[in-house]
Amino acid sequence: MTPNSPSPRSSGPSRRSFLSSTAVVAAAVAGGAPLLAACGGDGQSERKDGATSGKDAARILPTYVPQDIVKPDIPAKNGSSAGFTTAIATARLKASVPRKLGKGGTVKVMAPLWGSPPKSDNPWYRAMDEAIGVRTQWQNQDGNTYDEKLGAVLASSEIPDVVVVPGWNLTGKIPSAVNAKFADLGPYLSGDKVKEYPNLAAVPTDAWQRSIFGGALRGVPMPASYVINIVPYYRRDVFEQRGYQVPRSADEFLGWAKEATSAKAKVWACDDMKWTAFNAFGVFPGSDKALWWDMVDGKLVNRVETEEYLEALEWVRKLYAANVVHPDAKAQNQGDSGNRFTAGQVLVYNNDLSHWYVKSIEQATQNPDFAMAGMDVFGHDGSAPRLYAQQPANIFAFVSKQASEAVVRDFLAVANFCAAPYGTKERLLTDYGVEGTHHTVQKGMPVKNDTGHLQVTGAFDLLGDPASYLAHPDRPDIVKAQVEWQQRMGAFTKKTAFYGLTVTEPNRWTNLADDFEQLEDDVVRGRKKVSDVQQAVSEWRSKGGDQLRDWYRKLLDDAGSAAN
Amino acid sequence: MSQHSTVPGAQPTRDGAAPAGAPSRGPGSGPAGTAGAGAPPGRRRAAGKAAGKEGRVSLRTRFRRDRTLVLMTLPALLLVLVFTYVPVLGNVVAFQDYDPYLSENGFVAMLESPWIGLENFERIFSDSAFWRAVENTLVLFLLQLVLFFPVPIVLALLINSIVRPRVRAVAQAIMYLPHFFSWVLVITVFQQIFGGAGIIAQTLREHGVEGFDLMTDPGIFKFLVTSEGIWKDAGWGIIVFLAALSAVSQDLYEAAAMDGAGRWRRMWHVTLPALRPVIALLLVLRVGDALTVGFEQLLLQRDAVGPDAAEVLDTYVWWNGIRNQDFGYAAAAGLVKGVVGLGLVLAANKVAHLMGEQGVYKK
Repeated sequence: MTPNSPSPRSSGPSRRSFLSSTAVVAAAVAGGAPLLAACGGDGQSERKDGATSGKDAARILPTYVPQDIVKPDIPAKNGSSAGFTTAIATARLKASVPRKLGKGGTVKVMAPLWGSPPKSDNPWYRAMDEAIGVRTQWQNQDGNTYDEKLGAVLASSEIPDVVVVPGWNLTGKIPSAVNAKFADLGPYLSGDKVKEYPNLAAVPTDAWQRSIFGGALRGVPMPASYVINIVPYYRRDVFEQRGYQVPRSADEFLGWAKEATSAKAKVWACDDMKWTAFNAFGVFPGSDKALWWDMVDGKLVNRVETEEYLEALEWVRKLYAANVVHPDAKAQNQGDSGNRFTAGQVLVYNNDLSHWYVKSIEQATQNPDFAMAGMDVFGHDGSAPRLYAQQPANIFAFVSKQASEAVVRDFLAVANFCAAPYGTKERLLTDYGVEGTHHTVQKGMPVKNDTGHLQVTGAFDLLGDPASYLAHPDRPDIVKAQVEWQQRMGAFTKKTAFYGLTVTEPNRWTNLADDFEQLEDDVVRGRKKVSDVQQAVSEWRSKGGDQLRDWYRKLLDDAGSAAN
Repeated sequence: MSQHSTVPGAQPTRDGAAPAGAPSRGPGSGPAGTAGAGAPPGRRRAAGKAAGKEGRVSLRTRFRRDRTLVLMTLPALLLVLVFTYVPVLGNVVAFQDYDPYLSENGFVAMLESPWIGLENFERIFSDSAFWRAVENTLVLFLLQLVLFFPVPIVLALLINSIVRPRVRAVAQAIMYLPHFFSWVLVITVFQQIFGGAGIIAQTLREHGVEGFDLMTDPGIFKFLVTSEGIWKDAGWGIIVFLAALSAVSQDLYEAAAMDGAGRWRRMWHVTLPALRPVIALLLVLRVGDALTVGFEQLLLQRDAVGPDAAEVLDTYVWWNGIRNQDFGYAAAAGLVKGVVGLGLVLAANKVAHLMGEQGVYKK
C-alpha cells in the first residue's frame, strides 16, 4: 500500500513525475537487450501464471519518450487525465505521423462495439486505411455480450489477426488464452525499438507494464487514468430547485434519499449505488482480480474479507430496504440507469466518467433545463474517503501468434496512428473523420454530422491511444469539471499491492470467486443476509482462497510490487 | 415431424364405425393397417421390413429397390451426424480438466487436457447451487405441467366451438401473436405492468397502498414465470390440437346428436377421445423436455429475484460454462441433465404405452 506520491514539482504533470520516480522507467532506459528467454521456446512456458514486474519487466518495457504537441489547458495531476478545453484550428494541427508506416497489408480486427456498427466498407474506415497505409477489415461484435463470444473465438484455430480484449473480460480462462494465443510484441517494441513508433513511445510506462501478459509484452494498451471512474451523478437542476444539499456521508445520503423519494410522483432518490458504496467505504477495487488483494498489517487480505466490504453492502441494503432505489434497478431487467436519470425518475445514479459529457450533450437539445454534476465520493463517516487506484490500462489490442511479421508491423502502424495526441491531424481523423464528409468546422470546432455519428463510432480508438486525456472543446465546462473531479478524488487515492500488474492466476483457482458479484446483488436487494457473505468467504478460504493468498504473497515477495 | 405423424394416427377414427372404438385400438394396428400402395415412404419402408422378415428379400435387393429413397435421406442424415452426434463426443470434456486454450484449437485441446475421471461430477453433486437448480427446475416443470399444459387444450376446444370463420380467424391471430414477441419484450411488458414502478403499483400508490411488486418477489417467481409462459405461448400451443380436431368427422357429431347427446356429452365422447393420442404424445414430449424450462426467459429474470429462485439447470450450465468458462464442469452438469432427461422420456413413454397410446416410439 503505497500512498500516491505528491507531485514533487508544483505544476508539472504528475503522471510523468510519478513515472520517473519508479525504478521501472529508470531500468527501462538503462536496460540493454530485451530478455525474451521466458517467452520463446516451448509452449508450456508461455502459459505461465504469475506476473512480471521489477527488473524482468524493465527488460521488456518500451522506452518512454514523451511528446509535447499541445500543452493541455488543464495539466494532469494526482493521476487525472489531461484536459483540453479549446479547439485547435485545422490549419494549426500538427502531423505526428509524417510518413505512412503501413506497408499496404490487410489486417483483420475483431473488436467490441457499443452501438450499431457501420458498414464494413465505409468512407471513414477507408480514409483511415488510406492515411495509415493498411487495409483493415473489421469484425465488430456487440460489446455488451463480447465475453460470450471471446471465449469461443479464442478456442478456435482461426483467430483474427488482431483481437481487442477489454480488461473486464479477462475473467475465467481468458488470461491463459491470451498467453497462449497472442504474439509477443517485445521484439518490435521493447526498449528503444518503440522509437520507430513515436506515438506509442509516448504511451505512459504503467500502461505498458499492465500490458505484460504471461511474461511478454503482448498488448497495445488504451491508457487510462488510475483514479476511480465511477462518478455518483446528481441532477443539479432538481437539487437547486428543491434546495437539496449534496450529501457528504453515508447517513446524510440515506436521510436525503428518504426525503427526496416520492414514489407516487415516480421519483426515486437513486439507482443502484453499490459501486459508489464500495468507494465510499474504502473497499479494495473490484475491477481487476489482482487489485482485490492488498497488505493489511503485514498480511495479504482480499477485499471480500474486509469489514469495509460488509459495511458497504449493508449500507446499500439499507437504501433498498428504505425503498429509495428505483424498483426497475431492483429488477435489473429494464434498460439502463442513465435513462432513468435523464427522465427524472432517479435523482442520483453512478456510472462512468464519460457519462458526464454524453448525457449532458444528449439532453441539451431535448431538455434545456437539464443539469447534472458529479458529487465527490464521500467517506462513509463524513471524513475524507479512502480510494484505491484502478488499473492504468483497461483495453488491449493483441496480435495473433499466427500473424506474420508484416501483419504485426502493419498493426503497429495502425496503433501508432491511432495513438496520436490531441492537436494532431491524425487525432482529428480518428475522432471526427474527414472534414466535409463526417464533420464540419463550426466556430472553429469540429462538429460531427449525421454520417459522422453513424460511421465514426469507435473501432480505431481501441487499437491505440495516447496518454489519458479529456477533450470536449464544445463543452469546456464539462472537461474542467471532469478533470477537477478526478484530481480531487486522485488526492485521496492509494495504490494496492498489485497495482499496474497483470496477474495470471493458476487455472485451478480462476473460478473461485465467480459468485461473489451475484451474492452482493442478492444481499443488497435483501434476498440474502450479510452473514451469507461471511459464510461464502469462509467457503472461499477453505476451497482455495488461503492457498491463493499464499500464491499472491509469493508473487509479491518474488516479483515485488509495481506500485512504489 | 412426430407431430405430423400423429395426425394420420388420428385418422383411423374417421374410418372407424364408432368413436368408442378408437381408444381400444391396439398400438400395433395403425401402420400395418394403412400400409398400402399409396402410403407415405415411411409406411412403405415399414411394410418392406415386414415383407423382409417373411419373404427373405435380401439386403441388396431392398437397397436396389429403395436406393432413391436412401439417397434422399442422406443429406438429412449427414446434418444429424455433424450437428447432433459429433458434438455428443464433446461430452468427453466432462471427465477432463478441460482448457480449450491448451493448444491451437479447442478440439485438439480435448486430446491434451488432463483426464480427471469423475471429479467434476463429485464437485457437482456436492454443490448446493446445483441441487437448488435441480429443485427449481422440477418445481417449475410440475407447475407448468399442471397450470400451463391444459390451457391450449381448453383454448382449442373454445376456438373450435366458434362457428363463424371470420371471428375464428381473428381470435386465432390474436392468440398466436404473443408467440412472436421476444422474451425481452414480454418481460418488459410484464415489468411495466406488474413491476414496482409499473401501472398497477403506481395506481395502488395513488390510493395509499405501497409495496406492490410482483417482479422481484422470489416467493411467487415460479407462478410469474408460468403465467408469462401461458401469455406468450398458450395460443401457439393450440395449433396441434386444432389440427387434430379438424380431423374429426362432422358425421360423428351429427350421429351423436341424433342419439340425443348434448354439447357436453359430444365433447366428452367425441372430441376428447379424438384428441387423446395427441395429448398423450405431447405429454411424453413435454416430460422428456422437463428439464428445459425456458432458458432465455429465466436468464433475463435471474437478477431480478436472484439465483436461489431463478437458477435452473440450463442457466446453471450457461453460468458455469459460458460466463465462467468452467467448461468441464458445465459439460458434466449438462450430461447429468441429458441422462435424467432420457430417463424421464423413457418413463413417460412407458406410461403412454400403458395408457394404450403410441407415444413417441414403440419397440
